[in-house]
Parts: sequence; C-alpha cells; structure tokens
Amino acid sequence: MLRRVLMSLTAVLLGFYLATPPVNAQSLDEFEEKVTEFTLDNGLTFIIIERPVAPVVSFATYVNVGGANEPVGHTGMAHIFEHMAFKGTHTVGTSNWQEEKKVLKELDNTYQKWLAEKYSTQPDSAKMDTLWSQFEGLQEEAGEYVVNNEFSEIIDRNGGTGMNATTSQDRTNYFYSLPENRLELWFSLESDRFKNPVLREFYKEKEVVREERRSNESQPIGRLVEEFLSVAYTAHPYGRPTLGWPSNITATTMEDAREFYNTYYVPSNITIAIAGDVQPNEAKELAKQYFGDLKEGPEPPPVYTKEPEQRGERRFTIQGQSQPFFLMGYHTVAQDHPDSKALQLLGSVLSGGRTSILYKRMVEEEQTALQVSAFNGFPGQKYETLFATLAIPNQNFGVDTMETSILAEIEKIKNDGVSQEALDRARTNARANLIRSLDSNSGLASSLASAENLRGDWRKVFTDIEELNKVTVDDIQRVANKYLTKDNRTVGAIVNEDNSSDQEVADANN
Amino acid sequence: MAVFAFACSQTEQVADSQQPTDTNPHTNLDFPELNDFQKPEVETFTIENGMTFYLVEDSELPLINVNARVRTGGVLNSNNKTGLASITGTVMRSGGTETYPADSLNAMLENRAASIETGIGFTSGNASMDVLKEDFDDLLPVFIDVLTNPTFPEDKIELAKTQQKSSISRRNDNPQQIGIREFQALIYGEDSPYGRTTEYATINNITREDLVNFHDKHFSASNMMVGIVGDFDAEEMKQKLRNSFGKLPAGDKSQLKFEIVNYEPQSSINFIEKSDVNQSFVMMGHIGGMRDNPDYAKVQVMNRVLSGGFSGRLMQIVRTEMGLAYSVFGQYGMNSFYPGMFYAGVMTKSSTTSEAIDAIIEQIERLQDEPISEQELQDVKDQILNSSVFEYDSYEEVLSERMSNEYRGLPADAFEQYIEGVKATTIEDVQAVAQEYLDPENLQILVVGNKEGIGDQLEKYGEVNKIDISIPEPGSGEKQMVEGNAEKGQEWLSKMTEAVINNTELNSISLTGEMNMQGQKMPMSTTINYPDAIEQTIKGPMGEIKVKYEGGSGKMIVGGQERPLPPQMAKSLKSTLNRSFLSIALNAESVNPQYLGTAEVDGTSYEKVNVTVDDSNVELLLDAETHYPDIIRYKQFNPQMGEQVTVENHNSDWQVVDGVAYPYLQETMINGNKSGEAVYKSHEVNK
Repeated sequence: MLRRVLMSLTAVLLGFYLATPPVNAQSLDEFEEKVTEFTLDNGLTFIIIERPVAPVVSFATYVNVGGANEPVGHTGMAHIFEHMAFKGTHTVGTSNWQEEKKVLKELDNTYQKWLAEKYSTQPDSAKMDTLWSQFEGLQEEAGEYVVNNEFSEIIDRNGGTGMNATTSQDRTNYFYSLPENRLELWFSLESDRFKNPVLREFYKEKEVVREERRSNESQPIGRLVEEFLSVAYTAHPYGRPTLGWPSNITATTMEDAREFYNTYYVPSNITIAIAGDVQPNEAKELAKQYFGDLKEGPEPPPVYTKEPEQRGERRFTIQGQSQPFFLMGYHTVAQDHPDSKALQLLGSVLSGGRTSILYKRMVEEEQTALQVSAFNGFPGQKYETLFATLAIPNQNFGVDTMETSILAEIEKIKNDGVSQEALDRARTNARANLIRSLDSNSGLASSLASAENLRGDWRKVFTDIEELNKVTVDDIQRVANKYLTKDNRTVGAIVNEDNSSDQEVADANN
Repeated sequence: MAVFAFACSQTEQVADSQQPTDTNPHTNLDFPELNDFQKPEVETFTIENGMTFYLVEDSELPLINVNARVRTGGVLNSNNKTGLASITGTVMRSGGTETYPADSLNAMLENRAASIETGIGFTSGNASMDVLKEDFDDLLPVFIDVLTNPTFPEDKIELAKTQQKSSISRRNDNPQQIGIREFQALIYGEDSPYGRTTEYATINNITREDLVNFHDKHFSASNMMVGIVGDFDAEEMKQKLRNSFGKLPAGDKSQLKFEIVNYEPQSSINFIEKSDVNQSFVMMGHIGGMRDNPDYAKVQVMNRVLSGGFSGRLMQIVRTEMGLAYSVFGQYGMNSFYPGMFYAGVMTKSSTTSEAIDAIIEQIERLQDEPISEQELQDVKDQILNSSVFEYDSYEEVLSERMSNEYRGLPADAFEQYIEGVKATTIEDVQAVAQEYLDPENLQILVVGNKEGIGDQLEKYGEVNKIDISIPEPGSGEKQMVEGNAEKGQEWLSKMTEAVINNTELNSISLTGEMNMQGQKMPMSTTINYPDAIEQTIKGPMGEIKVKYEGGSGKMIVGGQERPLPPQMAKSLKSTLNRSFLSIALNAESVNPQYLGTAEVDGTSYEKVNVTVDDSNVELLLDAETHYPDIIRYKQFNPQMGEQVTVENHNSDWQVVDGVAYPYLQETMINGNKSGEAVYKSHEVNK
C-alpha cells in the first residue's frame, strides 16, 4: 500500500515492478505459444497475447519516453503530451480542421510573443496585456472548432473501459479495453492519434495539469517525494518532477510539444501489446493497414547524464502541519545491472510481508511504525536509481526512531547477512506474484509491452526468474555493503511543527 | 448489441457551431458480431449447517481462491465502540489460532506464497485464501481455523489499537480524506452509524472480551457463504468442502439492523480550514437512494450524463472547457442496505473555488430544467450496453457478483435487469428522475481549503459554517458526573477563593521564574489577563519561544519567526488556563463544586473538592488550614503518549502579593512520575 502511494505519486508503473520476478522456464514455454510478436517495416513492434477467456480485448501502447528524457527547461513535457494525446486528430475532435489549424498556429505564435515579452529584460506590461487579450480571443476562436472530448467519447460509446494513460520518469503508456469485435476501431483510433495528433486546447489543458500538480502538493507525501528527489539527484533528470516545475509548465508552447512528439514518438520507440480474444493474423493485417504509414524517424537521443558519485550524506526536514513521514534513499543501479536482482530481493527480505525484518521489528514488536517499506527502483528503473525506505511512524514516535531502527537492521545485514530461509521466501513470493499477475488481459498487455519497450524483450518478464535464482545470501550482503553506505544516502522527513513545543507551553501554565 | 451510431456533438452549445463530420474515418467501420460467450456456470449448494457454497472452475492458472462472506459488519457496533468490527477483523488474522500462532502462521503461508486474510467492513465480513493449487488441501484446515478459532491475543489487540490510533492522528493530513469523511457526517449526521468516525475514546473502550463476543456471535455457519474459483475438479471439491466446513456449528443467524435515515433537505455552506494547501477540495450534494428503487436504471443513466467519466457533462465543462480542474466527479449513490449519497465534487485552485461550484450547480440544475439531447441518451446507452460484456470478463467477477447479489438480497439477474432498464429509459424519464431525485435548491456544500486563498468566495452561498475537525481527545466531551456534597463543595471552594484572591479584584497576573524539565533550566515569564489572554516567554536551549494567545487564537514567535499558533495548541493552552486554580476561583459559580470528603496524601490530610471545567473533572485537594489547593489533579490527553494521563500539580511555598497567593514551587507529576517543576521568583498583580 505504502509503496503503491509512493509509486503512483512518481507515476512509476507498479504492475511492471511487481511482475518482474517470474515463474519458471516451463511456464515461459507455455507462454511462448500464446504470444505472437512482429515488427512492422517502420520499426513499430507488436505483441499479441491470445487469451480467449471472454469476448474482450485490452490494449497497451508503451512509448519509451518519460520525464527523464525532457529537455532542460521543459520538465513536465512528457506528461503534458500524454494529456494532449486525448485531444483528437485532424478528423476527431474538430468541426473544421483546415480553419482550426490556422487559428491554432496564430494562437501559439501569440503565446510565444507573450512569453518572449514576459522574459525580456524589461517586460512592457502594456504590450503583454495586449498580447494576452489577443491570445484569449484566439483561444476562444479556436474553441469554436472543438468537438469536446470526442476521442474519449467514441471509445466510451463503444463500450471502452479502463481508458487512461500514465507518465513516469521512464515511459509513457496509453491503455484501454474494448469488446473484441471493436478491434479495428482501436487500430483506427490509436494509429490516428499517433499519426495526426492535434495540440488542441493546449493552453487550457496546461491549467488542468496545474490542478493535477496542486492536488499532488496538497498531500504531505507528495511534497516530501518531490523535495526528496530534488535533493537526492544532482545531475540526472530523475531528480526532476514528472509533473513539471510550475515555471516550466508556463514556458512550454505548442511548438515545444510538437518538437517533443517528432523526436520521441517514432515507431522504433513504441511498443504495442494486445491481449485477450484476438487472432494474431487479423491483428497483423490491421497493424500493417493502420500503422504501416506511421512515419519513421531517427533513433531518439539517449539520456547522456550520469549521476556523479555522491560525496556525502544529504539531509533535509520539512516542518509541516501533517504528521511525520520518513524517507531515505541510496543510489544504486539500473534495472538491467546484475546487482539489481539482489537489491530487489534485499528490499523484499526487509519489508515484504509479515515475516520481513523491518515489519517484524518496527510494526509488530516495537510498534513504532504504522507502515514501513523498502525497495529498489525509486523513482524509476531504466537508469541508475535509488534503494528507498519509507516509514510512517506511529503516533508516539518520531522520524528519528524510524531512522535508528532501519539503519540498525541494515547494519545487521551488512555484518551478518540474511538467512537462506528469508531469501527463499522472497523468491517464492516473487514467483507467485508473477503467476497472479498473468490472469488479466490488461495486466498482461502492460507487463509484456513494458518489458519489450524498455528492456528490449518481453521474455524478460519470465527469464528474470533464473536471475533471481542465481542470487545468493552472499550477494545480498555484498550489495548491502556496496550501496547502503552513509555517504551514498539522502534522508528526508516531514516533522510536525506543533509537537516540538506543545509540551513545554502546555506545562508552563499548570 | 446497440448500433454504433456516430454523431458530432455532445452538448447543445457546440452543436450549432459545427458541421456533421462524415470525414471521420472511425465512423465508417462495420463491426462483426461479438464472439459467442458462455457466461461460466456457478454451481451452488447448501450443507446441513446452513453454509452455502458457490463454485466456478477455472483452469487457466494453477491457483485456487476461496472467499467467505460473513453476515456481520461495523453497523452492529455501538457509537461508543466504533471500530470494534474492524479491529476484530484485523486481529482474527494477525493474532493467529491455538494451533497456528501468529508467527508460525505467517511463516507457513509466506513459505508457500499463500495468503489468508480477514477483514470486517461496514456491512459485511470477509475472509479469503489464495493458494497454489497443490497447497489447497494443506491450507484449507488452516483457513477454517483462522475463521473459527482465532485466539485474539492481547498483544495483537494492542497492536491493532495502536495502529488505529495512529491512523486517527493522521486523518486530517489529506484534504480528500477530510472532505469525504466530513461530507458523510454532514449528510447522515455525526452520530449516525453512517456518519460517525472512530475516535481515540471509542478505540480505548474496546476490550478483548468485546472482540471474542463479536466474533463468536457472527462467525458461525449459518452466517457464511463461501465462493471457490480456480483449478479444481468440482465433484472432488464439493466433497472436501462438505467434510471440512460441515463440522462447523450452525449458530444463530445474525440480523444486520440499519437505522432509518431521516434526512432533512437543506442548503448549507460549510468550510474546513487547511492552511497548507493551495487547492480547494469541494463536495456538494444531498441524500441519495436505495438500490431496489424501481427507478434505479433511470437514475444511473441520469448520473452518467452528469458525471460519467470523460464523456460526462462535468468533465466536459469543468475540466475540458473551463480548465478548472484535473479531477471533477459525481455519483448518485444507491445502496442496498441504507440510502446512498448524491454528490458532485471538484478539486480546483483556491481562487476559482466558487467558479467551479457554480459551474457544477448549473449542470445539476440543467438536468432538471431541460431535456437531455437524443444524442446524449444514445451515447450513454451505448456506453452502458457496449461495455456490459466486461461485467463478466473473469471467473472471479462472475462468482463475486453472484455472491454479492445474494448477500444484498438482489436477484441473481440484477445486472441483466439493470441493462433492460437502461434500454427502456427515455429522455423524459431522465428529466423526470432529475426532477424527482435531485434537489439543487437544497445542496449541502463542503469546502476544504485555504482560507486566505479562497477569501470571501463562499459567502454568497449563505452563512459559512466553519467545521472544527480537531481530533477529540479521549475523555473530553464525555462528562462524567461526580456526585458529592454540593453544599459543602460550594463552601470549600469559597474558602479556597478567599484564600487565593483576598479582597482584590484580580484582572491580571505576571509571573517570573524558571522551568525545570529533564534537567534543563529555562527562564520564563508569563502574563495572564483574565479571562483568557496569555503572553508567555520561555528561554529554551534552542532559543526563545514567545507565545501570545487571546480569545481562541494566537501566534508564536520562535527564533524571530512568527507564525500562527496551531489550533490544537491554542486549545490546549486555553484548557490549561481554565484548569488553573486562579481561573477556577474566578469562575467559582460555574464549576459545580462537589465535596468528596477528606483524602490523605503522603501523611497529610486534605479536603477534596471536585470541580467541572470544560466538561472534565478537576480535583482540588485543599489544605484544611490555609485552604490553598496544594494538590490539583486531572486527566489529560497526552499527544506524545497517545493516551489519557493523570496529571497532578503539587503546589507549595505559597507567597502572597497584593492579596493574591501563588505557589512558588509547582511540581508536575504525570501518571505518578515527576515530569517537571516551575520555580517562581516573583508575581505581580494587576500591573
């Protein structure tokens, strides 16, 4: 639950994380029979999973771009574009595209002029006002061509369910499910939205995004996570919020969004999975027909920045009105680094289930914590990430107690290692979690598309099992010693501004 | 299956400004017939002791899932033990059984990647077991043991209570949680089972015996239905179930009693201050309806027009057109056991709070004032009918819906009936139910947000009712009447009053001295202007702290930084002042003194008088000769310890200045242990 909160706040896809550890080689073989994989000439990859349990089908489109890819000054861009992908196309969401197009161009030009004035050395406020009222006039004019939410309405009317999209540091995904006889409708709509996206109602949608941000800021944990990442990371973009800094949201224009789309939404950077009552041959035909002409583009630029080695512990405290929270993180490795499996199992031994070390000590025995969790992969998995521990203290306890207990248990593992039994249990549960994740179309589509898109092979969902089996108790002790060091960590907390002086003042008047 | 009819517009406003878009390629698609789908059969049977079973075979994965639904629920708890059902549900599992104590139960299950969980909600209890199929035979007896023989050990009960209390202490941190909770209290009433909350006091009232009794009463065979889905052979499984569950005693059938809701339509505007947010969380609405209402389908169609996902009017207008929100939502709740709530809500920046409220109200009114369009009706029908295939897209869902209908007293084909009802709904029906079931004239509006950012936006909706959400400390508000001799009580209190304020009119007192807490000596000065203004300066190890309080609020200055005094702290300051002997003396007429005889403490005999201050009891132990209150005793909630503690002030070294007596040594004992002392150097009166 706790991790869920943290993960959803940083918009990291939980399903993938939990699904990483696999069944066994045998189940992979069984699975291979149900899966058909093909790549179109333009580089777009499809994974079809046959699962005719009910006459329904789920779709997942993964684009290998997330917050970490955003250019400097444009944090929030990947997420804003994700919102725009529901705004329609040249034919959906408009009553007259030719006319609308002209107004949209002028609208963006005017906004850019306004921005230029706003950020000039000596902004002329009268000029800004004039530009702004022009802008507002154009926005109204553009609005007259808009057919509100038509894209989502078509899906709704056709019985679509679970329609949404999420953006994380690592990737952007789009998903929904339809009755199986609407397969072609999905091909038609999905290809249209990625071939002919229109940045319709762009500036209004930015306001929606700002409200999303405010809602995140209204939660103590949202504030803590944003602050934490910006302290923990010096150079790598994992330190920036996927929701974007407010000033960046202001400065983002339609032209920026268009450029972002041109760079990252190229077929070789996209993977689509379809799971359910679907015929692979039919899907392949439709894929060629609808996506064959999605324009190829150059390979998007990699993220060059690497986080430099941390030279010393970083700490911060937010004085707030809420009850306390404690968050600590150590720099570790990316998902496909050999040590990531040992770190994953270390997290599980520490906080997975009622027998785990931290749960037993802090929640059950000492009763100092309401919840505690430890896991590798915060805020992403694709690049060098953090091993995070999050603890919510019980009423009578402070964040210092959380830190002392967690550090003590980490120290024990560094010195004495973990038991074979605890390691085996962590592996068994990882395997079972995978099996349990295979019983829904949407879960399957998501896991497989993600592994293929971000890691190059959907089979990794299953082959990770051998990797987990290779991890020994010595590996766990080794990674604990290697990564969980003082200089390599960031410690952040929210403390309640009331509590410190409450007692003193109350007693003084007795 | 409904025809896929494309149309260009959703709302009347935009319909005028656009032409039919026959260029849209997505409209020309022909869809084949939906593949044949056989809804899996649920096999059901009842055994002698009254337990009913529901079976569905699903061999896709090597797993078996067992789910027991139990007729019980939090609704059965009394108001002073709210939380009992939930704690019972938690400790059934966390405490383990005689045969499988908690630690070995946890290890056994996790070693097999199996799970057994229990919980009790407001209207039902649940227990589930998830296992790999090869573990089923071994773990079924364990599951039954957890269901029927939990040991409820004290330490796990304490753990569950501690966790509940921690959750209570955190419940005001999240605006959405506050909003939903307080809106329920507004609609149903805060003492109604549907609107009440679990409090420190109600948790403290719960004993192990309560848990044992609650469990015994409801977890018997005649209150259970059990569903099993997964990879098994039905005939074999039936035999196993008969053999294992057949041994359970039938027990008495529980009756869930649901109080009638007497809702009085009213409009109100309510505000909860949350100064650390920049967005308002708004809920508005009134009472909703019941699931068995024959208009159920029509009302749900209406609701879908208003707030059905991205296509609903609220999303279209408030989010997409106006850009006022990321989240805007609504529901016409129709519950099975007691009336649901109708509500619409939004999260919007402080400065657009009333704009968003107005936009939502307009949409509610519009449903009554004008018919929805042909297109809207068709769209909503298409949404519901085309997505109906998802109702049964997994075996688990088929099973759980069947059990749920049975439990709630709905027919097995409730969903099919709903679909027929949707098909039959007309434009006129929608307007008629909007007029019958919506009441935009009488909306209760609740805003959680930032007072400074919102300003006076709410005033146009009426007189703003500010809701106090400070968390009640146990004991407060629960006046325990102490009965003694009232006449003698008055007499002794007068004697004390004369002793401490002799022939003076006390308006203010200034004290200087130092506090001694945990070995730290901290100089301090305090001025109290009666009845309730306090200024206090303490030089602590971390620097100077200055507190100013007057008439309900105040500020504190720490290290030169000024900020408002948190409400909880202001409250505690005020109640501490009210309990001080000078305040009691000044309010001697209104504290209901009761003489309780003499009491001996450490060899000294005192005259004991109980007075009532802020609805709690304060005991004054008066010296028989000087009449000074040498000992003052009361109970107080200690936030650090999370519980009620007994506080005792021992006063000595009394000095008199201008007729007012003050003890120059005040020692404070908490639960019998000395926690600190104050030593005064001087006091001045009316300066």
